[in-house]
Amino acid sequence: MPFTLRGVEEIASLHGEPDWLLKRRRTAFDTFERMPMPSRIDEEWRRTDVSGLDVAKFSQFERRNGAAPAEALEGVAGTVTMRGSEIEAVSLDPELARAGVVLEPISVAAKTHPELLETLLFTQVRAERDRFAALHAAFFADGTFLYVPDGVVIDKPIVGQVFSAEGGTAVLPHTLIVAGRGSRFNYLDEYLSPADEASGYKSGSAELFLGEGSTVGYVALQKWGRNAWHLADQRARLDKDASLRLFNVTLGARFSKTRVEASLQGQGAEAELKAIYFASGEQFFDFHTLQDHQVGNTRSDLLFKGALQDVARTVYAGLIRIEKGAARSDAYQANRNLVLSDHAKATSIPMLEIDNNDVRCTHGATVGPVDPQHLFYLRSRGIPETTAKRMIVQGFFGDVLERIPFEHARRLIETELEARLG
Amino acid sequence: MATVPKVDVGTDYKEKYGFFVPEEYVFKAKRGLNPEIVKEISWMKQEPEWMTKMRLRSLEIFRKKPMPTWGADLSVIDFENIFYYLKASDKQSKTWEELPPDIKATYDRLGVPEAERKFLAGVSAQYESEVVYHSLQKELTAKGVIFTDTDSALRDHPELFKEYFGTVIPPADNKFAALNTAVWSGGSFIYVPKGVRVEVPLQAYFRINAENMGQFERTLIICDEGSFVHYIEGCTAPIYTTDSLHSAVVEIIVKKNARCRYTTIQNWSTNVFNLVTKRAMAYADATMEWVDGNLGSQITMKYPSVYLMEPGAKGDVLSVAFAGKGQHQDAGGKMIHVAPNTTSTITSKSISKAGGRTSYRGHIKMYPDAKNSKSFVKCDALLLDDESRSDTYPYNDVDAENVTLGHEATVSKVSDEQLFYLMSRGITRSEAETMIVNGFIEPFTKELPLEYAVELNRLIQLEMEGSVG
Repeated sequence: MPFTLRGVEEIASLHGEPDWLLKRRRTAFDTFERMPMPSRIDEEWRRTDVSGLDVAKFSQFERRNGAAPAEALEGVAGTVTMRGSEIEAVSLDPELARAGVVLEPISVAAKTHPELLETLLFTQVRAERDRFAALHAAFFADGTFLYVPDGVVIDKPIVGQVFSAEGGTAVLPHTLIVAGRGSRFNYLDEYLSPADEASGYKSGSAELFLGEGSTVGYVALQKWGRNAWHLADQRARLDKDASLRLFNVTLGARFSKTRVEASLQGQGAEAELKAIYFASGEQFFDFHTLQDHQVGNTRSDLLFKGALQDVARTVYAGLIRIEKGAARSDAYQANRNLVLSDHAKATSIPMLEIDNNDVRCTHGATVGPVDPQHLFYLRSRGIPETTAKRMIVQGFFGDVLERIPFEHARRLIETELEARLG
Repeated sequence: MATVPKVDVGTDYKEKYGFFVPEEYVFKAKRGLNPEIVKEISWMKQEPEWMTKMRLRSLEIFRKKPMPTWGADLSVIDFENIFYYLKASDKQSKTWEELPPDIKATYDRLGVPEAERKFLAGVSAQYESEVVYHSLQKELTAKGVIFTDTDSALRDHPELFKEYFGTVIPPADNKFAALNTAVWSGGSFIYVPKGVRVEVPLQAYFRINAENMGQFERTLIICDEGSFVHYIEGCTAPIYTTDSLHSAVVEIIVKKNARCRYTTIQNWSTNVFNLVTKRAMAYADATMEWVDGNLGSQITMKYPSVYLMEPGAKGDVLSVAFAGKGQHQDAGGKMIHVAPNTTSTITSKSISKAGGRTSYRGHIKMYPDAKNSKSFVKCDALLLDDESRSDTYPYNDVDAENVTLGHEATVSKVSDEQLFYLMSRGITRSEAETMIVNGFIEPFTKELPLEYAVELNRLIQLEMEGSVG
């Protein structure tokens, strides 16, 4: 299925998608054709080199094959499992289904809940953003739709898992989450390649709509194989008094670019945006974040923490924007980078655009090696250097890690840290 | 010429600085920019051929380079509607008494003579495009210090001049550096020999005074090994009705173990486009300090930078920006770490009021050889009302091993608690706000010589009066 108009039609008919969705895909495809590849003249791409990426090479969609899903998850309220570009299984606690919770593949929900999807799908993550966003909107394979009705509280997390095992293909899942008024739940997206397959093109975008007074935890854990190209957009819209906790854990892919944006549109809304990333080998990670305070009395708190090893490179660029009328807003933004090797490089660009005086905005960024005094202290206690370094990295990530609302994800990260730090 | 939103510099400005001296020029080049005008400037100054050629080459570069698309909006500048050379009086005055009376009157209002009486080593006051007044204390000459205007330096010290001119900021560096190199006129030239410490600050007042007049001064400072100098550049300007362009280039070379401090208080009238390139090269264990205050102009784009060329070099930028109605201060600093064990700090304090906009724009670059280097950037912004705006754009590129980089910024308003406390002590709101603002920029003020600190506090007071609350 090449990245052509015919490809668009094929994928739509494969899912039996309604006309409005096919039309939307076609419009996105036009945008994709019209948009040039980002060049290094664009500020956003100055430090992010995509010249080696030939998307046409990966125009085959990964089918449901080889990938063996991990062991069944315990302690979850619902799961959506995808293998490659296809839905493998969907399950939801029947009690929640009775309460009106909807957990469906997007291809199904487009028919069963058109009133929600037609008005919301790709309104936050917009195809016009750039060529890759357009590609994703035109060709997204399938994905998860989660709707939690007003007032419904879900204690156990809901998990979406996408497995990839093939390489040389495209895997483009999309997540759409709608939180009703006063609802409360946690959702995780896991993007996993059990083995380091050949190079491939992956996206994994998410749109979140937080209704008045809702409390949503969202975690995206990206651990594709180490040769993948990963380009993703996450954007959340927060209504009055909504509260979002959004975590990114980035461990995989050769090239990973993630945009994380929170649009605070209702008074009293608050967004906590956190991330941990660990880049080693030749990995390149790029994060662009936006805390968009459109109205007053809103809060945002961003903390991105990364460790770098070997010859890895990371770029963080974040913007706090306080719109003119957004008085009494409070925004915080920090990016901390721990550089573990002499040849790893971290770039950090925290930016502010403040158009209202009655605000409190603070940001900070650091790039530096392990504090020799910390290392010395641990070694003087008889701890070998590698263990000491690992302890320091674990401690560095600790404050973000412990807030991730899912044990399974935390364990996965711990295992990864140990594997990389020896 | 495109229409520019008219800035009302008049009503408060005239009362504040209250001077407008009628124009009286010996020579006034035609408006516009072409090779003939550039040749004419060079001919008027009786320059050597290499300089004429360099000017013409720079003009070519200027024409080829596109306008910067970032920062402030510069599209309103009409390069064809600017005088590129003016000479206010036909010969340089030697003493204060010999100055033409109208020029003296202007300086009197600015307080130059007092400053001179108090501690001045030499005055090199630029009025219009040419240095008209210049005095140098005998002891400085005895020590071998050269402090003169840049035109004279080209004439009197041709070898020294040619060795360094354009080496820190070559014409092709950016569009406005090219423009300056093509049409430069005036500025200061300082050479401090090995081991010589100039204990009193050297200062010059820069003024522009004609409508549509560009000022393209060129400053070159060379601190030889182990020397020290503090140079102060201060500007204030009377009322104008149309846009004026100020595009200076300042080049500084700080050799091994030397230290140079360059202090600026920029207070152009609020219709001036102030587009300045300032750069220093700091060699082994040398220290370069930029103390940069921006109060005036309609648009300022200025990022004093230090290239840390050899181990142990240290760079420091202390920047204060104040943007009032219709103003955009796009200021900051750049630190380019080339060698290992180099350190740098940038401290920025900015204040926006009455719809003004301040932007901190900075760049920390650490090249692969800059191992074990450290850099720290701190930006604080104060927004005095809800019409104003503040931005922070720090760019950091680290390609070196084992380096430490830190950046911190805060944006806030004048705190209600502080205001309440002061007002409960019977201080009026506007006085209280002035006190808080003066306190906010104190780290900057305390680095200034007393006279300048007093003047700056007074300027802030004038800016604040009746403007808030």
